[in-house]
Amino acid sequence: MNIMNIYLKTYTLLLAIFLIIASSAVIAQQSDYQIQQDFRAELAELSERVELAVSTDELVELEQEISDLRDRYAEHSSIINAAIYPDTFERSVARVEENRAASAERAAVIDQLNEQVDELTAEMEVFRNRITQMSAEAEDLQDQIERSTASESRQAALIRQYRQNIEQRDNFVSDFLEELLMKYQSMDRTTQEELADAAERLEDSPLDVIKAIVAEYINVADQSSGLEAPDYIGMRAQHGYFMDVWDRIGDRLVTTFDPEREVQAKQEVEDLLAAWLASVDNRLWDSLTTAFNQNNIQLGPFTSAETFNTALNNYVDSGYELSLETNSDEDYNIYRNFRDFWNTTVKASWGEALTDGNILSQSDIAAIDIKVGNWGEAAQTTSNLMFILFLVSIAVIIGLIVLLLTKKS
Amino acid sequence: MLTKYLTTLSVITALIFTAVGCGSSMVIQNVDYSQPIESVLAPDADQMIHDQRFAIKFSIAKVLEREGMQTVDEVRLIRNRAGFYFLTAQGFNNVYVFEPGERELKKKEIIEISSEGIGDPAFNQRDRYIELVDRATGQTYNLDQTGRR
Repeated sequence: MNIMNIYLKTYTLLLAIFLIIASSAVIAQQSDYQIQQDFRAELAELSERVELAVSTDELVELEQEISDLRDRYAEHSSIINAAIYPDTFERSVARVEENRAASAERAAVIDQLNEQVDELTAEMEVFRNRITQMSAEAEDLQDQIERSTASESRQAALIRQYRQNIEQRDNFVSDFLEELLMKYQSMDRTTQEELADAAERLEDSPLDVIKAIVAEYINVADQSSGLEAPDYIGMRAQHGYFMDVWDRIGDRLVTTFDPEREVQAKQEVEDLLAAWLASVDNRLWDSLTTAFNQNNIQLGPFTSAETFNTALNNYVDSGYELSLETNSDEDYNIYRNFRDFWNTTVKASWGEALTDGNILSQSDIAAIDIKVGNWGEAAQTTSNLMFILFLVSIAVIIGLIVLLLTKKS
Repeated sequence: MLTKYLTTLSVITALIFTAVGCGSSMVIQNVDYSQPIESVLAPDADQMIHDQRFAIKFSIAKVLEREGMQTVDEVRLIRNRAGFYFLTAQGFNNVYVFEPGERELKKKEIIEISSEGIGDPAFNQRDRYIELVDRATGQTYNLDQTGRR
């Protein structure tokens, strides 16, 4: 049994040794030609994969594979050098590695841009949803306002709510525009072009969202009822802000998000902005006329920012001239009424929105302020009063003298 | 007498120098002709093979005839350090060793490898010999211009 075991063990050992030798002999039977052919083929394949690779992961994997290839063929480098002369093993591998590194760098930029686009897509979706929700709320409020004509107090409450809704939307849109400004105002052309490539897959680009917002604003301006001058002034201000932002980043946005039809895309937004302004103005001038009328200020007719400014100036000028001519209490009351409305409502409540909405500029307001001051001086009836007081004083003095003389006598 | 002697001596000296000058050839020793990698060449319709890299072009018609074959897909050619060309192909029984001459390749040796034909031959340049590998069988043969080593 023992002899049998020893025999078996020896046989197994010999067999193993034979297999090792045989296999090493087979491994050794290589063709130098084949080695360099295999190297060329593998390197070409890696090179092609590097060219086609788009993801960072793929390129990281390729880095390892190139390194493996280098290790695997390093011992045959002299054969390969001879075969691919004047190129060399090291140079050819290094070339593929350099291409891979460059591709990796590009892929990293693309990854970053893709992230940006994903972020942008999410932002746009949130924005659209919120705007849609606000629009639905606004429409609902609008319906309710129209239906609630029977109850004035309910209608007033609804209008208040409607105003709040508009205000919220303005704030939301302003935040969105602010964000767009921050992102795109300082973006260089290369980044814009890179982002443009990545942004092709965006369903809703910022441009689309801007167009949707402006369309919604036009809708609000056209259909709103129950709104008054301050609401339309606010809309004008919002339009002014929108225009400002568009002037600053409009070109960049069309270059980035609609590079194939830049001019057309820009024109589309600008046409919408013009339509929005027309819709606001359609209501604004009438509502301003009404607001002044309600405060007993009858301005001349106006249908634009310029004619509104002229109407205000004409009103103050004629009031001033009238005060100079007649200097009556009535004139003073007219002056005081205008001054109060001008200071407490026009300047204090609407002032910022008037300038933001390009209705009146700071210098227009300042010019009217000066005129109102002059009008105030002209309207003062102080000079007559002083004269009367002077006469009364003389009369009193004379009276006293007469009284003294009478008493002495 | 002396004049005649000197004249004869001068003529002989001149002839010797002329003969030495004209008859001597410049010989460069230890030339390494070795081709680092074999060339794998596909013959054209006229059985011509052309190695662009190592700049040689010749017909293999006679070799095919000797092997009793009409054609082959490709032949493998390598030159050893001594400058002899070694040629074989799949299915050949032999490796042909040629010595280059003026517009000719002269058979130096026909080395028999297998009567069955070589399955998948490949030449490798080694330090002192040419290695023939039959990758079909895994067998190797070390060759030089005189035959198997």
